[in-house]
Amino acid sequence: MIQLIEYALNGALLGLLYALIAMGFVVIYRASKVFNFAQGELVVVGAFLVWFFTLDLGLPLYVGFALALIGAAIFGLIIEPLLFRRLVGQSTFSMVMVTIGLLILLRGLVLVIFGPSVRPFPDLISTAPITFGDITLNRGLAYGGIFTILLAIGVSLYFSRTRPGLRMTVVAEDHQIAQSMGISVRRSIAYAWGMGMVLSTLGAVFYLNGKSVTFLVAEIGFAALPVALLAGLESVGGLIPAGIIVGVAQGLAAGYIDPVVGGSFSAVFPYLVMVIILFLRPSGLFGWRIVERV
Amino acid sequence: MVAGPGARPGGALTEGASGSAPSTESSGGPGGSPLLELSNVEVTYSGVILVLKGINIIVPERGCVALLGPNGAGKSTTLKAVSGVLKTEEGLVSAGQVRFAGERIDTLAAERTVRRGILHVMEGRKVLEHMTVEQNLVAGGHLQRSRDAKESLELTYEYFPRLADLRGRTSGYLSGGEQQMLVIGRALMARPKLMMIDEPSLGLAPLMVEEIFSILHRLRQEDLALVIVEQNTAAALALADYGYVLDNGRIVLDGTAESLRSNEDIREFYLGLGATGERKSFRDIKHYRRRKRWLG
Repeated sequence: MIQLIEYALNGALLGLLYALIAMGFVVIYRASKVFNFAQGELVVVGAFLVWFFTLDLGLPLYVGFALALIGAAIFGLIIEPLLFRRLVGQSTFSMVMVTIGLLILLRGLVLVIFGPSVRPFPDLISTAPITFGDITLNRGLAYGGIFTILLAIGVSLYFSRTRPGLRMTVVAEDHQIAQSMGISVRRSIAYAWGMGMVLSTLGAVFYLNGKSVTFLVAEIGFAALPVALLAGLESVGGLIPAGIIVGVAQGLAAGYIDPVVGGSFSAVFPYLVMVIILFLRPSGLFGWRIVERV
Repeated sequence: MVAGPGARPGGALTEGASGSAPSTESSGGPGGSPLLELSNVEVTYSGVILVLKGINIIVPERGCVALLGPNGAGKSTTLKAVSGVLKTEEGLVSAGQVRFAGERIDTLAAERTVRRGILHVMEGRKVLEHMTVEQNLVAGGHLQRSRDAKESLELTYEYFPRLADLRGRTSGYLSGGEQQMLVIGRALMARPKLMMIDEPSLGLAPLMVEEIFSILHRLRQEDLALVIVEQNTAAALALADYGYVLDNGRIVLDGTAESLRSNEDIREFYLGLGATGERKSFRDIKHYRRRKRWLG
């Protein structure tokens, strides 16, 4: 029984990490309707920025971390003018293809600049596990989970209550309406990439706490996709339940199915969930359904 | 480019290239100092399709101008040329000028013209369908200071008490009339100097059309100019003080609302009224009867 709870809890925490990374994905999707295939690479770039400012430059941990977040925001903001500005008015499909190009480009750049070697990642959070009786939890993921829940609430409120957030929500609804209301679509998309990049960097910090960083970390971007789809691509708040569902399912699969089949079936599990979602409910649990009036 | 706004087909050539507003006596345009001036505007789509072929329109401050004409005449395109929405549809003002409050605006993007005070209520009741009524309105006032926005919200609810009752509802599920109110209210939230409304009565029940137009009549008391594109010519000419009739990208006729209301051609083509004022019915039209016999 204890073991079941431990599997479930650790799964939930992993799911919340997916939710944090999926949040970057969702923020970008809302603004530009672009399915960002390079999400995992954004996490890698964020991770290397943190590594660069803290361990490589030798700055104090939190100064370096703050600089990395600023650097990440700037990096995100320049993606729109660099890659998408010329594509205004083109089909969404060509923009999605650009994100695949971005994936390849970033992977190449990371390899050229930082090399393929494994780098240590700074511990912003103590690596000592949290123990409740017989249950042990990863401290980085636990703090990350709590942080993600608070952040999701904050970002949801930002999109529904504040004026800059409402502007971005209008852009999420319809680009032409947004422009006819005096909202700059391009600026909103640029902000969204900036936000997405900062969220990805935060995700990297919680994920890699106590681990090391290589370009292979990017795989988490695809692992986070099912969470975004389950939540519905427009919903930030929905990421929390979606993350927990996917994470617990994966955690239980890792605990009970993996030993039986003798392989890492759990790694495939989120994608299995994704396929089922796409069959049963294409707009996810909380996504914007197409309004049909009768 | 040489001719001023006084030169227009169907109207008398007044004041030549001076560019000043023609007087009310001539049929050259509505009186009052011009807020919006289109001179010889040509619009091209995708670089090849000429949709507007040199049109001149003047909208005076606090005035109300109606654009009439059949489908495909270029009425909506005219509004898009002014608001800049054209540019999102691969359209371009390829010749002529659009001036607003004396400044050229034809090169501005849509989001910039809104900042100048031009609000374009597009055809088809474009609500932000996943957002609530109140979110729609608050987003409409996003350019104002928050205190002003709150005031505008109250004012809008005063205009549209029905929207106040529905404020928490998801706007995509409102009725057509309610959605039309919402998009007009959303435009009001920006406190425009000029509001351009495209087909407000399209697809609405007659009672709802009446309600929308009574609100538009009230809006005329406000300090703003209106341009209205409308198929319901009678209602539009009752609201406006000046009208332009477009056909095939050109202005074929313009004049004060009264003169257009009593114009034979307008009555015949757009109001469906005969010379003596009796309403014409399709039953009276010969070729229609012949076709019917042939089909029967």
